[in-house]
Amino acid sequence: MGNDNLYKEIENHVIENKEKFYRLAYSYVKNSDYALDIVHESILKAFSSIDSLKRSEFIKTWFYRIVVNTSIDFLRKQKHITVVDEETLSIYDTGKLDKYEDIDLKNALEDLPKNYRIIIILRYFEDLKLDEIAEVLNENVNTIKTRLYKSLEILRIKMID
Amino acid sequence: MKDNNLELLKKEYLETKIPAELDDTVNKYLKEGKKMINKKKYIKRISTITASAAAVTIILTIGVNSNKAFAKTMSEIPIVGSIIKVLTFNEYKIDEDTYHADIETPAIEGLENKDLESSLNEKYYDENKELYDKFMLEMKDLEVNGGGHMGIDSGYVVKTDTENILSLGRYVVNTVGSSSTTFKYDTIDKKTEVLITLPSLFKDENYIEIISENIKKQMVEQHENDENKIYWVKGLEELITPFEKISKNQDFYINQEGKLIISFDKYEVAPGYMGVVEFEIPTEILLDVLIGIGYIK
Repeated sequence: MGNDNLYKEIENHVIENKEKFYRLAYSYVKNSDYALDIVHESILKAFSSIDSLKRSEFIKTWFYRIVVNTSIDFLRKQKHITVVDEETLSIYDTGKLDKYEDIDLKNALEDLPKNYRIIIILRYFEDLKLDEIAEVLNENVNTIKTRLYKSLEILRIKMID
Repeated sequence: MKDNNLELLKKEYLETKIPAELDDTVNKYLKEGKKMINKKKYIKRISTITASAAAVTIILTIGVNSNKAFAKTMSEIPIVGSIIKVLTFNEYKIDEDTYHADIETPAIEGLENKDLESSLNEKYYDENKELYDKFMLEMKDLEVNGGGHMGIDSGYVVKTDTENILSLGRYVVNTVGSSSTTFKYDTIDKKTEVLITLPSLFKDENYIEIISENIKKQMVEQHENDENKIYWVKGLEELITPFEKISKNQDFYINQEGKLIISFDKYEVAPGYMGVVEFEIPTEILLDVLIGIGYIK
């Protein structure tokens, strides 16, 4: 397939799924400006590495992979900075105390190592299949399965505390 | 954990607030992406030409030793075996009545040493992003204060690309009233994949003195041959603090012939009309201080 057709495919894919990509980026960086940066960088990276997309049916996992890698790169560069976003700050604000339970749950998810949490996000929030997740994260399916069960286990333990 | 909890988490996840800017960001960079693809096509075309040049090289190698003129022509064909190359990573463009910006960011590809590759590419990206952000800021500032003219051009040139060496130069031309130009170079040893710095070429810091003296001599000589060539150097133009010596990490590159070229930004050692000035340093005078014979010939 020529790059012109691929360009169209990518363009449509990005427009249709931009909110998903944004949410995913946000789940890593917890800051709307940074998440926007990651989305834009991912778009540029997608086009600069268009040759690595062999067939358009891989576009879904291919683009998720770019967003995940861009987010991780970003965090690696910024690791000396701790970001506290508006939403997290507002949680500590008064008047939101009635949401206690959710916070525990959310914190448990946040406390998961990044390479575990992403699996929960992709599997349960974005409804990807296990082999698709394996594709996105460049791991084999068994590794993904193990991590998924481990994540669920960790979450369960934390829930009980 | 009950599915119920997962549902709760999912709900919260899906409630992540989407900023209004997302649409604009996505549209803007999709356009950038399109430009990039068009550029890529261009680069591809060039590499096809290069590839056919390679075929010619292989067939005609026998001819090289027997014919001097022929050998010269061949040496100008880019080295095809090397997969290390420079591409345009992205380009920021603004074209309005009184504002103009064209910032092109290079990216190096094909190094085995990924640390070096990404640290250079990150540097290129970060510096140009800063350039762009600063430009936007100044533009807004100017707008608030009644408008004006502003321009910036930034891009890159591959100065040298031989079997051993890649010298990549990046320039910034800033136009506000008069213009200023700066040039920065990175030179890479393609064989060992390390960045070559000026001090790394020499045994000790004596090179600073040797090179500076030679440049001062060249400045005076150039002026004697052509009085329009003015440098701020002792004995020539002393109203402005004359040039004393190069800095330890003065900008430099190694040209196609393996000669060391020292570069000065506009206004650094000469009046503005002289632009960016370069001096080729004769290899003979460096022999005592060079580390072995390698890059500089």
